[in-house]
Amino acid sequence: MSAVAFTRLLAAACWRESVTWWSLRSFLVTLIIGQSVAPLLGLLVWSSALPAARGVTSYYLALTAVQLLTVSFEHHTLSNTIYDGTFADRLVRPQPPLLEVVAANLAIRLWYGIFGLPAVVALAAAAGALPRASALAAAAGSLLLAMALRFCLTCAPALSAFWTERAHGAVSLMETLLFLLGGVAVPLALLPGAAGETARLLPFWSALGAPAEIASGEVAGLAVTRVLLIQAGWLLLLAGMLGLVWRRGIRRFAAVGG
Amino acid sequence: MDSVPANPAVIADGLGMTFRAPVRPPGLRAALASVVYRRYRTIEAVRELTFELCPGEIAGFLGPNGAGKSTTMKLLTGILHPTVGRAEVLGRVPWRRERALLRRIALVRGGRPLGGPEELTVLDTFRFQRLLYEIPEPEFRRNLGELTDLLGLAELNGRQVRALSLGERMRAGLAVALLHRPRVLFLDEPTIGLDVAAAATVRAFLAAYAVQTSATVLLTSHHMPDVEALCRRVLLIDRGRLRYDGELARLSAALTPDQLVRVTPVGRDGQDWSRFGEVQQDGGAGAGSSVVLRVPRREVPRVVGELLARVPVAGLAVEEPPLDAVLARFHQRATP
Repeated sequence: MSAVAFTRLLAAACWRESVTWWSLRSFLVTLIIGQSVAPLLGLLVWSSALPAARGVTSYYLALTAVQLLTVSFEHHTLSNTIYDGTFADRLVRPQPPLLEVVAANLAIRLWYGIFGLPAVVALAAAAGALPRASALAAAAGSLLLAMALRFCLTCAPALSAFWTERAHGAVSLMETLLFLLGGVAVPLALLPGAAGETARLLPFWSALGAPAEIASGEVAGLAVTRVLLIQAGWLLLLAGMLGLVWRRGIRRFAAVGG
Repeated sequence: MDSVPANPAVIADGLGMTFRAPVRPPGLRAALASVVYRRYRTIEAVRELTFELCPGEIAGFLGPNGAGKSTTMKLLTGILHPTVGRAEVLGRVPWRRERALLRRIALVRGGRPLGGPEELTVLDTFRFQRLLYEIPEPEFRRNLGELTDLLGLAELNGRQVRALSLGERMRAGLAVALLHRPRVLFLDEPTIGLDVAAAATVRAFLAAYAVQTSATVLLTSHHMPDVEALCRRVLLIDRGRLRYDGELARLSAALTPDQLVRVTPVGRDGQDWSRFGEVQQDGGAGAGSSVVLRVPRREVPRVVGELLARVPVAGLAVEEPPLDAVLARFHQRATP
């Protein structure tokens, strides 16, 4: 399939998934609120605990936006199709088997952005914590990498559905690690030296906290390039691992039929 | 001039598929023990399955539940990789899932005739299928027009998938699956759950489609009218093994040692019919009522001779037992 044909197919698949999620708009709103709770709670806790700390509000509001734009539900959109057998139908069609999964991921993020971002921007404007345009521009590349990273981090445990009935648990564990080490429970800037530096080298911060720190101005200048390199490195590694897990999973599916 | 036989569209050569399923006795102790020591049992879903389908051939694939029909379908469509054996569909190995093959086959499952988002209209689904199979727009329009006419889809195309009844879904699902004109069609219970009228529509369409396109069709169904309407050849599978491969018309003879002798006597004078054979049906004492006797196949000539000699007969016919009944008996014997 040519690149043009694939792009058109992906766009059509995204449109199909978007229509589906639009029909679930009231459910979407509850999901968005649920996803925003953790970073907003972090904002309340840390701005109360450290009222003099600079940039906590802008960081957590940026983190809320990143959380909404990187959200991934592959344990629902992929694992469940493996469990109910509909995944097999995708193997009989001339398409990348993950086409609908990627399309659903992009469609969900689109609606999260449309419904959630205006509220985050309004909050930031009310709090006087709107990011500078230059910081936003610098964060754009990091955000794209974080979107891909979070997909890999969620999709890989979701693929455990090929082996176990506990894929949702595996994804929950990943979400917990994202919460603890990704900059939600505590901004890494507030962690003591070595702990903060180590956490910045892990994929969880790259997938969540990194773009938020760049957008809020915590990371600037040459440090942005370093962050981008770390993110790109993790993306290469995780994409490779995802490919490996995928191939082994498909082999197992072909051997036992899911 | 002799015609050169075409290459088979489907080849299964010694196909076998073995699964390992975990087993454990009931109870908490067994559940705890299974954490450290798992036991498995081996299930041979398909064993040494060998057959070929010629281009344009329609074959019925019969067997009781759990016989291995769906597993074979999955092997031939590339969803499963066999444990042993070889398969080819249109000259390609199905489990390599080559795009060139996937664009020329279709699998229709009666239980899930129309996948994809339910919020979309049927026409949206057709349009996505066009992109998926890279069907040129003029061909798409032509095929869609034909399928719309054949399946009566004109009023369905603008409706959302979620608003369709099961019969409408099946019709739309068939059209979606056939939009790219597959050369080989795998139909897994295409009329399951449909009412009599809807099932008849689907059968008539499939018969017309097969004639029109010369597609090769492998059909599984527990619904004998489907098989009788569409298939001259049937393959009967039981516990993973092929038990019969031949003409549908000879299936009864192959499976049952008996034939039915239908006698219409001139008068009812208290005949003891059981001396001629097992009485299957006795129409009673009314004029023109008949008696159906089950008679061992090899004794039919003798019994017919005796009946004609001893009973004043207004009519007599020798029939094969109904296929449904024959298969039901076979399935009962086959059930472990």
